Amino acid sequence: MGITDTKKELAANQMIFDVRRDPTLYTDFADNFETIMESYQLSNEERQAFRDLDIKKLGELGVHPYFLPQVSRLFHGGAYNHNNSPSAQAYGKSVVNGEGKTR
Amino acid sequence: MAELSFVTGLSHAPGMTGWLDRASEQEQKSLTEGFNLLGEKLRATKPDLIIGLANDHVLNMPVDDTHDFCIGTADNWTGPAEWFRDRVNVDPYSVRGNSPAAQLLFDGLSGCGFDIISKSELLFDDNWSVPLKYLTPYYDIPLVPIHMNCIVPPIPAPRLCFEFGRAVQKIIEDDLPANMRVAFMGTGGLSHDPGGPKYFDVDEEFDRWFLGLLEEGNPEKVLRECTPARMSAAGDGGTSELIAWISAMAMVGDRKAITACYEPAVELRCGMGCVYWEMQREPKDV
Repeated sequence: MGITDTKKELAANQMIFDVRRDPTLYTDFADNFETIMESYQLSNEERQAFRDLDIKKLGELGVHPYFLPQVSRLFHGGAYNHNNSPSAQAYGKSVVNGEGKTR
Repeated sequence: MAELSFVTGLSHAPGMTGWLDRASEQEQKSLTEGFNLLGEKLRATKPDLIIGLANDHVLNMPVDDTHDFCIGTADNWTGPAEWFRDRVNVDPYSVRGNSPAAQLLFDGLSGCGFDIISKSELLFDDNWSVPLKYLTPYYDIPLVPIHMNCIVPPIPAPRLCFEFGRAVQKIIEDDLPANMRVAFMGTGGLSHDPGGPKYFDVDEEFDRWFLGLLEEGNPEKVLRECTPARMSAAGDGGTSELIAWISAMAMVGDRKAITACYEPAVELRCGMGCVYWEMQREPKDV
Protein backbone atom coordinates (compact mmCIF):
# COMPACT_ATOMS: atom_id res chain seq x y z
CA MET A 1 0.00 0.00 0.00
CA GLY A 2 1.79 3.10 -1.24
CA ILE A 3 1.39 6.09 -3.46
CA THR A 4 1.70 3.93 -6.59
CA ASP A 5 -1.38 1.95 -5.50
CA THR A 6 -3.68 4.96 -5.67
CA LYS A 7 -6.78 4.46 -7.79
CA LYS A 8 -7.19 7.89 -9.26
CA GLU A 9 -10.76 7.29 -10.41
CA LEU A 10 -11.96 6.14 -6.98
CA ALA A 11 -14.97 8.15 -5.85
CA ALA A 12 -13.57 8.41 -2.32
CA ASN A 13 -10.51 10.24 -3.62
CA GLN A 14 -12.66 12.90 -5.24
CA MET A 15 -14.82 13.15 -2.14
CA ILE A 16 -11.92 13.60 0.27
CA PHE A 17 -10.26 16.11 -2.04
CA ASP A 18 -13.41 18.22 -2.04
CA VAL A 19 -14.30 17.79 1.62
CA ARG A 20 -11.07 19.34 2.94
CA ARG A 21 -11.64 22.38 0.75
CA ASP A 22 -15.30 23.03 1.56
CA PRO A 23 -16.61 24.09 4.98
CA THR A 24 -20.10 22.94 4.04
CA LEU A 25 -18.67 19.43 3.67
CA TYR A 26 -16.07 19.15 6.43
CA THR A 27 -18.16 20.84 9.11
CA ASP A 28 -19.91 18.03 10.96
CA PHE A 29 -18.56 15.52 8.43
CA ALA A 30 -18.75 12.77 11.05
CA ASP A 31 -22.49 13.33 11.35
CA ASN A 32 -23.21 13.82 7.66
CA PHE A 33 -20.87 11.49 5.84
CA GLU A 34 -23.61 9.09 4.73
CA THR A 35 -25.28 11.88 2.78
CA ILE A 36 -21.97 13.05 1.36
CA MET A 37 -20.96 9.51 0.36
CA GLU A 38 -24.27 9.15 -1.44
CA SER A 39 -23.75 12.36 -3.37
CA TYR A 40 -20.32 11.15 -4.53
CA GLN A 41 -21.64 7.67 -5.37
CA LEU A 42 -19.11 5.76 -3.32
CA SER A 43 -19.14 1.99 -3.73
CA ASN A 44 -20.56 -0.18 -0.98
CA GLU A 45 -17.05 -1.21 0.03
CA GLU A 46 -15.90 2.38 0.31
CA ARG A 47 -18.98 3.31 2.35
CA GLN A 48 -18.53 0.41 4.75
CA ALA A 49 -14.88 1.29 5.27
CA PHE A 50 -15.92 4.81 6.28
CA ARG A 51 -18.61 3.44 8.61
CA ASP A 52 -16.02 1.18 10.24
CA LEU A 53 -13.43 3.94 10.12
CA ASP A 54 -11.26 1.25 8.59
CA ILE A 55 -8.42 3.40 7.31
CA LYS A 56 -6.37 0.40 6.30
CA LYS A 57 -9.21 -0.81 4.07
CA LEU A 58 -9.54 2.61 2.45
CA GLY A 59 -5.87 2.40 1.53
CA GLU A 60 -6.35 -1.08 0.09
CA LEU A 61 -9.25 0.21 -2.00
CA GLY A 62 -6.99 2.85 -3.54
CA VAL A 63 -7.46 5.98 -1.47
CA HIS A 64 -4.30 8.07 -1.79
CA PRO A 65 -2.10 7.50 1.28
CA TYR A 66 -1.86 11.22 1.98
CA PHE A 67 -5.63 11.29 2.54
CA LEU A 68 -5.66 8.46 5.07
CA PRO A 69 -4.56 10.34 8.21
CA GLN A 70 -6.85 13.13 7.07
CA VAL A 71 -9.81 10.73 7.10
CA SER A 72 -8.96 10.01 10.71
CA ARG A 73 -8.88 13.75 11.42
CA LEU A 74 -12.28 14.25 9.81
CA PHE A 75 -13.72 12.02 12.53
CA HIS A 76 -11.39 12.71 15.46
CA GLY A 77 -10.32 16.32 14.86
CA GLY A 78 -7.00 17.74 13.76
CA ALA A 79 -5.91 20.08 16.53
CA TYR A 80 -2.79 19.27 18.53
CA ASN A 81 -2.20 16.26 16.32
CA HIS A 82 0.68 14.68 18.25
CA ASN A 83 1.39 10.98 18.26
CA ASN A 84 -0.98 10.26 21.14
CA SER A 85 -3.82 12.37 19.77
CA PRO A 86 -7.05 10.49 19.02
CA SER A 87 -6.68 10.90 15.26
CA ALA A 88 -3.05 9.73 15.15
CA GLN A 89 -3.84 6.83 17.45
CA ALA A 90 -6.78 5.71 15.30
CA TYR A 91 -4.58 5.83 12.22
CA GLY A 92 -1.87 3.85 13.98
CA LYS A 93 -4.28 1.23 15.21
CA SER A 94 -5.84 0.72 11.79
CA VAL A 95 -2.82 0.98 9.47
CA VAL A 96 0.42 0.62 11.40
CA ASN A 97 -0.87 -2.08 13.75
CA GLY A 98 -2.93 -3.56 10.92
CA GLU A 99 -6.14 -3.87 12.92
CA GLY A 100 -8.33 -2.31 10.22
CA LYS A 101 -11.64 -1.32 11.78
CA THR A 102 -11.40 1.23 14.54
CA ARG A 103 -15.04 1.22 15.49
CA MET B 1 18.34 41.81 -14.19
CA ALA B 2 17.14 40.78 -10.77
CA GLU B 3 19.46 39.27 -8.21
CA LEU B 4 19.07 35.90 -6.50
CA SER B 5 19.98 36.91 -2.98
CA PHE B 6 19.22 33.84 -0.90
CA VAL B 7 18.49 30.15 -1.45
CA THR B 8 17.22 27.70 1.14
CA GLY B 9 15.74 24.25 1.60
CA LEU B 10 13.64 23.56 4.68
CA SER B 11 11.11 21.21 6.21
CA HIS B 12 7.55 22.33 6.84
CA ALA B 13 5.90 19.57 8.88
CA PRO B 14 2.89 20.93 10.78
CA GLY B 15 4.17 19.70 14.12
CA MET B 16 6.72 22.52 13.98
CA THR B 17 3.95 24.97 14.76
CA GLY B 18 1.20 22.60 15.87
CA TRP B 19 2.70 20.49 18.63
CA LEU B 20 6.38 21.33 18.95
CA ASP B 21 6.03 21.22 22.74
CA ARG B 22 5.69 17.42 22.46
CA ALA B 23 9.23 17.13 21.12
CA SER B 24 12.16 16.86 23.51
CA GLU B 25 13.48 20.10 24.96
CA GLN B 26 16.69 19.62 23.02
CA GLU B 27 14.78 19.19 19.75
CA GLN B 28 12.60 22.21 20.47
CA LYS B 29 15.64 24.36 21.14
CA SER B 30 17.62 23.15 18.15
CA LEU B 31 14.76 23.52 15.66
CA THR B 32 13.54 26.85 16.97
CA GLU B 33 17.04 28.31 16.88
CA GLY B 34 17.76 26.84 13.46
CA PHE B 35 14.55 28.04 11.84
CA ASN B 36 14.89 31.46 13.45
CA LEU B 37 18.48 31.68 12.20
CA LEU B 38 17.27 30.83 8.73
CA GLY B 39 14.73 33.65 8.93
CA GLU B 40 17.43 36.09 10.05
CA LYS B 41 19.69 35.03 7.19
CA LEU B 42 16.91 35.41 4.65
CA ARG B 43 15.72 38.79 5.90
CA ALA B 44 19.30 40.09 6.08
CA THR B 45 19.49 39.80 2.29
CA LYS B 46 16.50 42.19 2.09
CA PRO B 47 14.58 40.31 -0.59
CA ASP B 48 11.81 42.10 -2.46
CA LEU B 49 10.24 38.78 -3.35
CA ILE B 50 10.26 35.15 -2.21
CA ILE B 51 9.70 32.49 -4.83
CA GLY B 52 8.68 29.31 -3.05
CA LEU B 53 8.40 25.73 -4.25
CA ALA B 54 6.48 23.20 -2.19
CA ASN B 55 4.38 20.06 -2.34
CA ASP B 56 0.72 20.68 -3.14
CA HIS B 57 -0.35 17.97 -0.65
CA VAL B 58 -3.18 17.08 -3.08
CA LEU B 59 -5.03 20.17 -1.91
CA ASN B 60 -5.25 22.19 -5.12
CA MET B 61 -4.57 19.56 -7.76
CA PRO B 62 -6.79 16.45 -7.48
CA VAL B 63 -5.24 13.00 -7.88
CA ASP B 64 -6.73 12.59 -11.34
CA ASP B 65 -5.57 15.98 -12.62
CA THR B 66 -2.07 16.64 -11.36
CA HIS B 67 0.62 18.67 -13.05
CA ASP B 68 4.29 18.80 -12.18
CA PHE B 69 4.02 22.45 -11.17
CA CYS B 70 1.32 25.04 -10.48
CA ILE B 71 2.23 28.68 -10.01
CA GLY B 72 0.12 31.11 -8.04
CA THR B 73 -0.52 34.36 -9.88
CA ALA B 74 -2.59 36.31 -7.35
CA ASP B 75 -1.57 39.64 -5.85
CA ASN B 76 -2.58 38.55 -2.38
CA TRP B 77 -2.58 35.27 -0.50
CA THR B 78 -4.17 34.14 2.73
CA GLY B 79 -3.67 31.14 4.92
CA PRO B 80 -3.89 28.69 6.51
CA ALA B 81 -6.88 27.16 4.72
CA GLU B 82 -9.62 26.85 7.28
CA TRP B 83 -9.71 23.08 7.75
CA PHE B 84 -5.97 23.03 8.42
CA ARG B 85 -5.91 26.03 10.74
CA ASP B 86 -6.22 24.32 14.10
CA ARG B 87 -3.78 21.59 13.12
CA VAL B 88 -1.12 23.96 11.86
CA ASN B 89 -1.83 26.30 14.78
CA VAL B 90 -0.89 29.40 12.82
CA ASP B 91 -3.06 32.50 13.09
CA PRO B 92 -4.75 33.63 9.88
CA TYR B 93 -2.35 35.68 7.78
CA SER B 94 -2.21 37.60 4.56
CA VAL B 95 0.84 38.00 2.38
CA ARG B 96 1.21 39.91 -0.85
CA GLY B 97 1.86 38.09 -4.10
CA ASN B 98 3.44 39.46 -7.25
CA SER B 99 1.23 38.86 -10.24
CA PRO B 100 3.56 40.32 -12.90
CA ALA B 101 6.51 38.27 -11.66
CA ALA B 102 4.36 35.13 -11.46
CA GLN B 103 3.13 35.66 -14.99
CA LEU B 104 6.69 36.11 -16.26
CA LEU B 105 7.70 32.91 -14.53
CA PHE B 106 4.69 31.05 -15.89
CA ASP B 107 5.29 32.24 -19.45
CA GLY B 108 8.98 31.42 -19.30
CA LEU B 109 8.62 28.02 -17.65
CA SER B 110 5.78 26.86 -19.87
CA GLY B 111 7.80 28.08 -22.84
CA CYS B 112 10.61 25.78 -21.69
CA GLY B 113 8.22 22.84 -21.90
CA PHE B 114 7.60 22.23 -18.21
CA ASP B 115 4.24 20.78 -17.21
CA ILE B 116 3.06 23.86 -15.36
CA ILE B 117 -0.31 25.48 -14.88
CA SER B 118 -1.27 28.71 -13.16
CA LYS B 119 -3.98 29.45 -10.62
CA SER B 120 -5.10 32.70 -9.08
CA GLU B 121 -6.57 30.85 -6.11
CA LEU B 122 -4.62 28.38 -4.00
CA LEU B 123 -5.27 26.96 -0.57
CA PHE B 124 -2.28 27.04 1.73
CA ASP B 125 -1.71 24.40 4.41
CA ASP B 126 1.50 23.65 6.26
CA ASN B 127 3.46 23.93 2.99
CA TRP B 128 3.63 27.74 3.28
CA SER B 129 2.18 28.38 6.71
CA VAL B 130 5.08 26.80 8.60
CA PRO B 131 7.96 28.34 6.57
CA LEU B 132 6.40 31.80 6.51
CA LYS B 133 5.80 31.75 10.26
CA TYR B 134 9.53 31.41 10.86
CA LEU B 135 11.09 33.12 7.87
CA THR B 136 8.83 36.15 7.58
CA PRO B 137 6.87 36.39 10.84
CA TYR B 138 5.38 39.74 9.80
CA TYR B 139 4.38 38.40 6.38
CA ASP B 140 5.94 41.49 4.86
CA ILE B 141 7.79 39.98 1.90
CA PRO B 142 5.70 39.17 -1.19
CA LEU B 143 5.47 35.50 -2.15
CA VAL B 144 5.09 33.79 -5.50
CA PRO B 145 4.07 30.25 -4.53
CA ILE B 146 4.80 27.36 -6.86
CA HIS B 147 3.05 24.15 -5.89
CA MET B 148 4.44 20.89 -7.19
CA ASN B 149 3.32 17.29 -7.36
CA CYS B 150 5.57 15.28 -5.07
CA ILE B 151 3.26 12.42 -4.13
CA VAL B 152 0.95 11.41 -6.99
CA PRO B 153 2.83 9.27 -9.53
CA PRO B 154 4.23 10.08 -11.97
CA ILE B 155 6.30 12.47 -9.90
CA PRO B 156 8.75 14.81 -11.64
CA ALA B 157 12.22 13.29 -11.64
CA PRO B 158 15.01 14.90 -9.61
CA ARG B 159 16.84 15.79 -12.85
CA LEU B 160 13.74 17.55 -14.17
CA CYS B 161 13.38 19.44 -10.88
CA PHE B 162 17.03 20.45 -11.15
CA GLU B 163 16.40 21.78 -14.66
CA PHE B 164 13.30 23.53 -13.35
CA GLY B 165 15.40 25.30 -10.74
CA ARG B 166 17.88 26.34 -13.40
CA ALA B 167 15.05 27.72 -15.54
CA VAL B 168 13.61 29.68 -12.61
CA GLN B 169 17.03 31.14 -11.91
CA LYS B 170 17.45 32.19 -15.54
CA ILE B 171 14.08 33.96 -15.51
CA ILE B 172 15.01 35.72 -12.26
CA GLU B 173 18.27 36.92 -13.73
CA ASP B 174 17.08 37.70 -17.26
CA ASP B 175 13.45 38.75 -16.98
CA LEU B 176 12.52 40.03 -13.52
CA PRO B 177 12.96 43.76 -12.92
CA ALA B 178 16.42 45.19 -12.45
CA ASN B 179 17.36 45.81 -8.82
CA MET B 180 14.79 43.31 -7.56
CA ARG B 181 16.24 40.98 -4.94
CA VAL B 182 14.78 37.48 -4.88
CA ALA B 183 14.97 34.71 -2.31
CA PHE B 184 14.13 31.15 -3.31
CA MET B 185 12.92 28.50 -0.90
CA GLY B 186 12.31 24.85 -1.68
CA THR B 187 10.34 23.32 1.14
CA GLY B 188 9.38 19.76 2.10
CA GLY B 189 10.88 16.63 3.64
CA LEU B 190 12.99 15.40 5.18
CA SER B 191 12.07 11.73 5.77
CA HIS B 192 8.44 11.17 6.63
CA ASP B 193 5.65 8.87 5.60
CA PRO B 194 2.19 10.40 5.92
CA GLY B 195 -0.35 7.71 5.15
CA GLY B 196 2.18 4.91 5.11
CA PRO B 197 3.42 2.19 7.45
CA LYS B 198 6.30 4.39 8.66
CA TYR B 199 3.93 7.10 9.85
CA PHE B 200 5.53 7.23 13.28
CA ASP B 201 9.12 6.77 12.07
CA VAL B 202 11.93 9.02 10.94
CA ASP B 203 14.85 7.73 8.85
CA GLU B 204 17.66 9.59 10.55
CA GLU B 205 20.34 7.76 8.57
CA PHE B 206 18.83 8.87 5.27
CA ASP B 207 18.33 12.44 6.47
CA ARG B 208 21.91 12.86 7.65
CA TRP B 209 23.18 11.26 4.43
CA PHE B 210 21.12 13.68 2.31
CA LEU B 211 22.23 16.73 4.28
CA GLY B 212 25.82 15.55 4.03
CA LEU B 213 25.48 15.28 0.26
CA LEU B 214 24.28 18.87 0.02
CA GLU B 215 27.14 20.00 2.22
CA GLU B 216 29.61 18.54 -0.30
CA GLY B 217 28.59 21.06 -2.97
CA ASN B 218 28.47 18.47 -5.75
CA PRO B 219 25.08 18.70 -7.50
CA GLU B 220 25.82 15.91 -9.97
CA LYS B 221 26.54 13.55 -7.10
CA VAL B 222 23.23 14.46 -5.48
CA LEU B 223 21.40 13.79 -8.73
CA ARG B 224 23.22 10.52 -9.20
CA GLU B 225 22.70 9.18 -5.68
CA CYS B 226 19.47 10.71 -4.38
CA THR B 227 17.18 8.62 -6.54
CA PRO B 228 13.39 8.42 -6.31
CA ALA B 229 13.74 4.86 -5.02
CA ARG B 230 16.05 5.96 -2.23
CA MET B 231 13.71 8.75 -1.19
CA SER B 232 10.73 6.40 -1.30
CA ALA B 233 12.51 3.87 0.90
CA ALA B 234 12.97 6.58 3.51
CA GLY B 235 9.22 7.25 3.59
CA ASP B 236 7.03 6.65 0.58
CA GLY B 237 4.40 9.22 1.43
CA GLY B 238 6.49 12.34 1.80
CA THR B 239 10.27 12.10 1.55
CA SER B 240 10.15 12.81 -2.18
CA GLU B 241 9.23 16.39 -1.25
CA LEU B 242 12.99 16.82 -1.25
CA ILE B 243 12.80 17.33 -4.99
CA ALA B 244 11.96 20.93 -4.03
CA TRP B 245 15.38 21.17 -2.36
CA ILE B 246 16.94 19.80 -5.54
CA SER B 247 15.39 22.67 -7.48
CA ALA B 248 16.93 25.04 -4.94
CA MET B 249 20.30 23.32 -5.25
CA ALA B 250 20.21 23.93 -9.00
CA MET B 251 20.62 27.66 -8.36
CA VAL B 252 23.76 27.60 -6.26
CA GLY B 253 26.44 26.15 -8.52
CA ASP B 254 29.06 24.32 -6.50
CA ARG B 255 28.37 26.16 -3.29
CA LYS B 256 28.16 23.95 -0.23
CA ALA B 257 24.96 23.90 1.78
CA ILE B 258 25.13 25.06 5.37
CA THR B 259 22.89 23.07 7.67
CA ALA B 260 21.17 25.38 10.14
CA CYS B 261 19.61 22.54 12.10
CA TYR B 262 18.51 18.93 11.93
CA GLU B 263 16.55 16.78 14.34
CA PRO B 264 15.01 13.34 13.79
CA ALA B 265 11.83 14.58 15.41
CA VAL B 266 9.77 11.43 15.86
CA GLU B 267 7.11 13.31 17.78
CA LEU B 268 6.68 15.61 14.77
CA ARG B 269 6.61 12.52 12.51
CA CYS B 270 9.25 14.07 10.26
CA GLY B 271 12.95 14.54 9.93
CA MET B 272 13.13 18.29 10.48
CA GLY B 273 15.86 20.54 9.26
CA CYS B 274 16.93 23.39 7.05
CA VAL B 275 19.88 24.43 4.93
CA TYR B 276 20.93 27.59 3.16
CA TRP B 277 23.54 28.62 0.66
CA GLU B 278 25.69 31.76 0.89
CA MET B 279 24.90 33.45 -2.41
CA GLN B 280 27.05 36.49 -1.64
CA ARG B 281 30.17 34.36 -1.88
CA GLU B 282 31.65 32.93 -5.04
CA PRO B 283 31.17 29.17 -5.38
CA LYS B 284 34.90 28.50 -5.21
CA ASP B 285 35.05 30.16 -1.79
CA VAL B 286 32.42 28.02 -0.15
